[in-house]
Amino acid sequence: MAEFLQALTQGLLIGSTYGLLALGMGLVYGVSGVVNFAHGDFIALGMFMCLALYSALSLDPYVSIVITVPVMMGVGALVYRYLLRPMVGHKFLMIVQLTLGLSLVLQNGILMVFGGQPARTPSAVESRLWIVGDVVMRVPHIIAFVVSFAMAIGLYVMLRSTDFGRSIRAVHQNAHAASLMGIDVGRVQILTFALGIGILAIAAALLLPGTPIQPTMGLRYTVITLLVVVLGGMTNFVGIMLGGLVIGISEAFGTIYLSDILGMLLPYGIFVLIMLFRPQGLTWGAAR
Amino acid sequence: MLEIEHLVAGYGGVPVLHDVSLTLAAGEIVGLLGANNAGKTTLINSLSGMYAPMSGRILFEGTDVTAMTPRERVELGIVQVPEGRLVFPEMSVRENLLLGGINRRARPGRSRQMERVLDLLPRMKERLSQNAGTLSGGEQQMLAVGRALMAEARLLMLDEPSLGLSPLFVQYIFGIIDKLHAGGLTILLVEQNLNLTLRHAQRCYVLERGRVAIEGSADAVKDDPRTRSAYLGL
Amino acid sequence: MRPEFYKVLQSPILWGVLLLAALLPFVLPSYYLHIVILSLVYVALASSWNIVGGMAGQISLAHSLFIGIGAMLSTALLLKLGINMWLGLLISAAISAVMAAMIAWIDYRFRLGHLSFVLITMAFAEMGGLVVEGWDFLGGASGLLLPRDTGHFLDFQFGGSHGAFWVMLFLAVVCVLVNVAILNAPLGYYLRTIRDNENAARAIGVDVLRYKVAAMVISAVLASIVGTAYVRYLTFADPYLLVSPVITIEIVLFATVGGLGSAFGPALGALLLVPLGEILRGQLGGVLPGLHYFIYGIVVIAVILMTPQGLLPLVERLWKRRPGAVAAAEPPANAAR
Repeated sequence: MAEFLQALTQGLLIGSTYGLLALGMGLVYGVSGVVNFAHGDFIALGMFMCLALYSALSLDPYVSIVITVPVMMGVGALVYRYLLRPMVGHKFLMIVQLTLGLSLVLQNGILMVFGGQPARTPSAVESRLWIVGDVVMRVPHIIAFVVSFAMAIGLYVMLRSTDFGRSIRAVHQNAHAASLMGIDVGRVQILTFALGIGILAIAAALLLPGTPIQPTMGLRYTVITLLVVVLGGMTNFVGIMLGGLVIGISEAFGTIYLSDILGMLLPYGIFVLIMLFRPQGLTWGAAR
Repeated sequence: MLEIEHLVAGYGGVPVLHDVSLTLAAGEIVGLLGANNAGKTTLINSLSGMYAPMSGRILFEGTDVTAMTPRERVELGIVQVPEGRLVFPEMSVRENLLLGGINRRARPGRSRQMERVLDLLPRMKERLSQNAGTLSGGEQQMLAVGRALMAEARLLMLDEPSLGLSPLFVQYIFGIIDKLHAGGLTILLVEQNLNLTLRHAQRCYVLERGRVAIEGSADAVKDDPRTRSAYLGL
Repeated sequence: MRPEFYKVLQSPILWGVLLLAALLPFVLPSYYLHIVILSLVYVALASSWNIVGGMAGQISLAHSLFIGIGAMLSTALLLKLGINMWLGLLISAAISAVMAAMIAWIDYRFRLGHLSFVLITMAFAEMGGLVVEGWDFLGGASGLLLPRDTGHFLDFQFGGSHGAFWVMLFLAVVCVLVNVAILNAPLGYYLRTIRDNENAARAIGVDVLRYKVAAMVISAVLASIVGTAYVRYLTFADPYLLVSPVITIEIVLFATVGGLGSAFGPALGALLLVPLGEILRGQLGGVLPGLHYFIYGIVVIAVILMTPQGLLPLVERLWKRRPGAVAAAEPPANAAR
């Protein structure tokens, strides 16, 4: 029983962050039809930037987001403007291949600068624990959960109640009509992409404490994000958050009850089952 | 107010409009008629800036807008009510209207403009929180017009407002159009419905295969025998 | 079968090129010969994937399953059960065919959307990889070592890199010609309708299931056979190479960059990118870890930005513009359309 609760808790905690990651991808997809297969590598980039800032300035990862977020958003805007925007309208698979090329560049750029040895970035709270009954929770995971959840709510509010959020939804629902309102569709696309990357920068700091990082770790996050975003029906807000929790929980159960290697089997299996029997995914309520 | 000079435009490299020239004076209602593929929607979309013209000029109140982006044109007051309404289906009536007023010029006065638009279209007031996709065709047309009005249009272009509407709604919408005209708004009305247009417009142009075939006052166009044949493609 | 297919078969350019290519082992130093052999392997694999991913429009990431079965299973059967590798090749191909049919059926039965299909096939591929890693019979995580290649053809041995080259050349040509054949046969037509609008295809009575299964099975069988031949050349059956999603990602890259859906596009993509990758690795691999892939990634991005429609359309356009082009014999690239 204790194991069960442990797995459940762990899954919920990490699932919230998975959901956040997928929201970023879903927003970009809804607005520009692009699926960024270098998604996880941007997370890795964020993590390594935190590492560098720690080595150079002794900045705790939670603090260095002040620098990493604007920098990553700038990088994101440049990437969209010069690599992705020229490809809008071309074959989806071709755009995916371009992002895969980008993934190679990011991964190996990190490798060249930082080397391939796993590295840890110490954080003030990294080894603190919070124990409730039989369940042990690591403080960084709790912080990650709270922040991710808060950001998800923030995103939701932004989408519903601000003009920028409304223009994002408008471009997603009918880009032509959005243009006719005087919305600069290109600008919305680039800003949304930058926003997505900014979210990744924050997520990187959240996921970093206690995690040994390697240049090749991005792929795992890309795959997880893809699973979550497809489960969530690509653009359905609640569906994506639910998907995040489902993947998080199944991953936790997988690693606790099966071995580390086979741990991923469970999320894959659950994904396959859900998509086979409910092809629209976990969509709930109106799409964004 | 609006001058189109020798416009050649199309998309994918293929011109749809060949040397179209027309003018609109401030406060006029001008009808743009023609059969299905005559180029009416292409013309309206070119005015909105969706296609870059291949040659020719568009002047709005003396300013050359030919190279302007769609956003800049909306900010000048050139606003379109698109064919098929194109409301945002998963957004409420209120959100659709808010989006209508999102451009820089209309934004500051948006709340006031919303009240005015809702007074003009009371049915929309009743359905403020309803998703636009669940409205009937006629209600969506009302919403589309209201949305365009939110943009503080100075030139309102309507593309086939009567399409798919019941006669009751058509009457209602055109009543609104008359009201707007009476208030001084310049209107470009694109319609397939000949009689309807001739009744409400002051002047008309008839497009045939991308060219202006006939132009003149509504009465003149009505009596012109060529109008029929332009429509029937004879 | 449209006459274009026979025109390609009879094309003097095609046979001239093949003849010249067959002489390569006598001219090239072994390092470069190895690169060419690798390129041919990927030409074959990319072309086989093209049938399902390009012509039928089903982006399947399950390919590593078939390659892996062809490689690992036949090796395991030889080493653990003494089964001749020719037989092992056939068994692996048959099993791959069955799995391919199952996957196609699942896609059809559950009406999977494109991204769903991508991820589900990827899930299957990952699960397959995990199975191989965990099962000693198939070599587990450490792989299997084949007996030395002493040239006994009946034991499925090629006798060194010359023999391997001719085998791979043969397989590559077969895979490309299968592409040409399908494109010029009714199957190609049906696959195109499925790719362009599956619902419409179903509505007009196209037997979508049958053709999806056909495409998937043909593709899987080819991949499996190439897998068996490839592992023989490598002598070492490495699961991390042969059953990993990486190999599928590379294949998809070559096919897409080269020109998805066309017969010669994937071959073009492989012939360009495989040597590039190998040469970069050879020149820069030791200088700084990651440098060669970094540059490779940049080249990929640049190529895609410059030819977003794929390399083949570009090559075709240049070919058409060459001096004296107009009335000349139809180049194979065109005939395959």
